[in-house]
Amino acid sequence: MDLGLFFMQSVVLRARLESALGERIPSPFTDLDTRIPEIVPTGIVPVDALTGGLPRGAITEIFGPPSSGRTRTMLSILAEATGRDEVCALVDGNDAFDPASGIAADLDLKRLLWVRCHKLEQALKTTDLLLQGGGFGRVVMDLTDLSLSYLRSVPLASWFRFQRAIEKTPTVLVVMTPESMVKSAAALVLRLEMRGTDWSTLLNAMDVNLEILRSRRTRPSISKFEFRISK
Amino acid sequence: MFACIHVPNFSGESHAALSDCASAFSPRVENTAPGTVVFDLEGLERLFGSYSEIAEKVAEHVRAAGIQAHVAVASNPDAAISAARGFAGVTVVGRGTEAKRLQDLPLDVLAPSPEILETLDRWGIRTMGAFRNLPAVQVSERLGQEGVRLHKLARGAGSRPLVPHWEALQFMEVMELEYELGTIEPLTFILSRMLDQICSRLRARNLATHEVHLALGIYLRVLRLPVPVRNPKLLTKLLILDLEAHPPGAPIQQVKVEAIPTKPRVAQNGLFVPLSPEPEKLELTLARIAAVVGEENVGSPETLDTHRPDAFRIRKFEVTAERFGNRNLLLKTCEPDRAKQGRMVGSSHRLSEVERTTPAAPPKDLLDGAATPPLPRRGLRLSRNDQLEGGDFALRRFRPPLDATVQLRNNIPSWIAFHGVHGPIEKLSGPWRSSGDWWRPNRWDREEWDIEVHNLNVGPPTSALYRIYYDVHTDRWFAEGAYD
Repeated sequence: MDLGLFFMQSVVLRARLESALGERIPSPFTDLDTRIPEIVPTGIVPVDALTGGLPRGAITEIFGPPSSGRTRTMLSILAEATGRDEVCALVDGNDAFDPASGIAADLDLKRLLWVRCHKLEQALKTTDLLLQGGGFGRVVMDLTDLSLSYLRSVPLASWFRFQRAIEKTPTVLVVMTPESMVKSAAALVLRLEMRGTDWSTLLNAMDVNLEILRSRRTRPSISKFEFRISK
Repeated sequence: MFACIHVPNFSGESHAALSDCASAFSPRVENTAPGTVVFDLEGLERLFGSYSEIAEKVAEHVRAAGIQAHVAVASNPDAAISAARGFAGVTVVGRGTEAKRLQDLPLDVLAPSPEILETLDRWGIRTMGAFRNLPAVQVSERLGQEGVRLHKLARGAGSRPLVPHWEALQFMEVMELEYELGTIEPLTFILSRMLDQICSRLRARNLATHEVHLALGIYLRVLRLPVPVRNPKLLTKLLILDLEAHPPGAPIQQVKVEAIPTKPRVAQNGLFVPLSPEPEKLELTLARIAAVVGEENVGSPETLDTHRPDAFRIRKFEVTAERFGNRNLLLKTCEPDRAKQGRMVGSSHRLSEVERTTPAAPPKDLLDGAATPPLPRRGLRLSRNDQLEGGDFALRRFRPPLDATVQLRNNIPSWIAFHGVHGPIEKLSGPWRSSGDWWRPNRWDREEWDIEVHNLNVGPPTSALYRIYYDVHTDRWFAEGAYD
């Protein structure tokens, strides 16, 4: 077949499809993966330097064992957003958030919607409602204190549903778990681990390892680093 | 010139809507009688065109409100009323032609007393034209002042001023149900219809509502909104969600909805306004979340001015665009209604109370490291030794605090077990004593310890940091939270 004729036919076919789908799907042939997501800082300088920050319209997963600095990292992310006058939501899976710790981390509590859940189902339903409602800069889903057996029962499709719900919005969904649960639905995965503590009769500081397990936007040159959280 | 809207066979339900229709054209509206309103058209030609065009527009507006009414325009209020009562559809009576246009109408149009009507009937006077032909002096002698007034009306020569009503606006709908409703679902259709009517009336006056009162017989609910709205679908959903959370205890026989009017919200968004939810949408989202987790578990946290541990309360979360300026969006956290929305969690402590907090003298071997409390520092950043240092530790609370079994060695905790954690305490600091509310039943007096536990429970041994305390009054140990 003449190559020119084939090219013309494909152009006409594309124009027809675009015309037919135009009202429902704008730009149907645009590759979604080629879009560059907007990035917002985490408030942790090396993480921002290595990953660029948290991608808007995507899920970021932070996981680790107890006393690994997850909550301090979460507060830093929320404080950074409220410092920019954005409104945030915290879906507290086991009612563990301490408002005094939030204030100490410079979190503006007036800009924080706190939903105190006591069951996994409540947390999932609430997150769904918040993402559908829209308008929140960060939505943090804190599931760290929930039982692993319950968390493993959440189907992977649920995380992909959340990802689809926010992919064209400026919302950052941060999921905090004791183990990696979100899998490939997450655009950025961070693992935290306590390396040691510093006691000089008083509890002074905690040394934490942070590992970047996945970063879809950039391939970090260093995937592991340490930081210290002092009291 | 004046216009009159008259509803024949008036049933008593739509007079407020009739008044609103008139108010959409003129601020000077007189509620003449049930089903009859008169309003001033002076100066409206520039806005709406000729008087016949105005009459057509009024009739169209009334039809759009679902009311079947007659509309008449005349040079004085009484002639307009007579024409509206006597002629169907739209009637325009020109200036100076009132007597001629009204002459064929029956005397009932003037609403005379039964005695006068009977007298005139005996005289053979049955139309307004016949009545106006009688000499005024003789009518006065035989029928008195009432006869003179009616004679003047029959000539279309009324000269009374309009008496506009200035009553407070009331946006209320009442519906008596034919049979009792035992569930919430059928109420959706009733509320939707009533709120449609109320919101259309609000829209006609360019008003909105920020408070809706719902009365189901003697059961009352008040819906307070952070921003004025006039969206009937939104209000219906919010009321239904509220009723599902607080169902009435008895079957419903009567439904009364009243909206408190206020000025509508004016907001102009900018390109660089920070991200925040739409207030109307947020209200619906919050109501739906409250239905899932409970009303007391949704809101904005606020710490209380006390030393009592974990003292905070939840306030209603609101995002309100109140001011247009360099910060377009203002967040407003308002005091909730004490009876219905106010709640205090974690403490019933009052702000004016006096507490005492006494850090106990730590054991001698711990004194060397005692330092002044660190100041909060913002963010996590690089320190001098190229490590990252952050602000304060974050505490994850166990609510309620978990019962703990603690073994002591020389009055210092050495081993602990609580809810899935057990193992030796490797490092610790404390005790830090605090107490307060000694004059109340819910007083507290405790000794706090920061501990590092080598957890031997499951899997490979791991270390974690916890805050535990010894309750002096109950002589028990508790785990309060984990540092994370």
